[in-house]
Amino acid sequence: MVSVATSGTTVGRAHFGGLVWTLIRTDFKTRYHGTIGGFVWALLKPLTMFLVLLAVFSYVFASEPQYKLALIIGLFLYEFFQESTKSGLLSIRAKGYLLTRARFPSWIVVVTSASNAAITLALFSLVLIAYLAATGRAPAPAAVALYASYQVEFFAIVTGFSLAASVLFMQYRDLNQVWEVVTHAGFFVAPIIYPLGILPERAHIYLYAWPPTPIILFSRSVLIDGHAPSPLAHVLLLAETLAILGAGALIYRWRVPRVAEHL
Amino acid sequence: MSSIVDVRGVSKTFTIPTVRRDTVREHALDFFRRRGSERLRVLDSVSFELRRGESLGLMGRNGSGKSTLLKIVSGIYSADAGTVDVHAPVTPILELGVGWNPDLDAIDNIELLGTVMGMTLKELRSATPEILQFAELEKFAHLELRHYSSGMAARLAYAVAFRAVRDVLILDEIFAVGDAGFKERCQARYRDLHRAGHSMLLVSHDPRTIAAFCDRAMLLEGGRIVMSGPASAVADRYLSLLTQDEAAAFRSAAR
Repeated sequence: MVSVATSGTTVGRAHFGGLVWTLIRTDFKTRYHGTIGGFVWALLKPLTMFLVLLAVFSYVFASEPQYKLALIIGLFLYEFFQESTKSGLLSIRAKGYLLTRARFPSWIVVVTSASNAAITLALFSLVLIAYLAATGRAPAPAAVALYASYQVEFFAIVTGFSLAASVLFMQYRDLNQVWEVVTHAGFFVAPIIYPLGILPERAHIYLYAWPPTPIILFSRSVLIDGHAPSPLAHVLLLAETLAILGAGALIYRWRVPRVAEHL
Repeated sequence: MSSIVDVRGVSKTFTIPTVRRDTVREHALDFFRRRGSERLRVLDSVSFELRRGESLGLMGRNGSGKSTLLKIVSGIYSADAGTVDVHAPVTPILELGVGWNPDLDAIDNIELLGTVMGMTLKELRSATPEILQFAELEKFAHLELRHYSSGMAARLAYAVAFRAVRDVLILDEIFAVGDAGFKERCQARYRDLHRAGHSMLLVSHDPRTIAAFCDRAMLLEGGRIVMSGPASAVADRYLSLLTQDEAAAFRSAAR
């Protein structure tokens, strides 16, 4: 019989908020440590990137104003996916020094690892909506709400992946390199630089299975085109999100009891 | 005295592969090749209880399973068999000399480690001057940890851990860090906590530490508890084990 029962982990409910905040704050501080402008650059990055891309694409794709916005949305969302999954995959390894010192739920470390990328995405979203409003194409509140819900689902997808990958990485130490190749190839699987319509319809189902695809297409649809995808499409996205989150949580639960032994 | 930690029949075995496969590539290339492994039984049906307010010492030679046992009781490792019932929050003070975020200064690292150990941000902010004072690092509060010596980093870690104390303390070689003044402060803090009713599980290789700071002690040998009783008696037995080792080494060298 194996049983370990304690009256609680080191982190009680009262401390949970403080721990989450400290992990996010110190991650943010570490990331921008030593860069010119530090925090200011972190906040300005989405704005400056948006303006640079907008200027370049306005010149290159002058005849197709919709395309430049679709491209910028795709690029930012995919960057969030790449960055957050990479930091999620490495999260337990990176914070191993905390996990061997005290008993606290390591999933907090995994979930908060995406915070930097999420802050950048949130700021980009604000800049994008402000730009749309300034150019007379302000999205309706319902469209903004739908866009926000897609980003929540995106975060859940990233969390599901990170939960599984962070514990598997302890045994497969080149998983980060494999994932880097997958995300580079995945950039061309997701319809970021090309419209989905140029591919045969029978291929669409496979492209939708790649998580960034539906998020990018649905986000463009509500913000640029002004119409929401069908209820069935929403149900399928939710099912995909829950499947990835559930599978990630199961793999995490299976592997996490032995994780400290690999640190 | 009622028990606050109850360990019954805990066993732990590590499987050590004869050929390591740590990457996707190695697993894929060697998929059909058989891989042997050695099983190392580190703990074998260990049972003991830590009573409320008691200071219990744990001694044993290197590799006897002490650190694994502490990690299992702390909930960091899982046991293969047996039960561990802990009836109060635990503060483990283990491997504190290693692992900080080197890009953050002492204050941020105090917040990081302190919140992980169960303190609230409010508690930490009011305790930070005291923590820095205990570690004698007030002047270096805004220095990044990458510039700290290993001794400074260890002192900071002990200072945080001693401030974050909850009901049960699990300590590994706590008096082996710092200069005489720092050791004295650690010892004084330990005595204060013991007087205040905290329960302690203390590992040390030093028989004087066990005899001076523990009410009772256990001797771990080959993953089993071979002796349990008054701290000074266990410390003496540990010393005699070491003497036997030295005598055997001397005889073998003389042959």
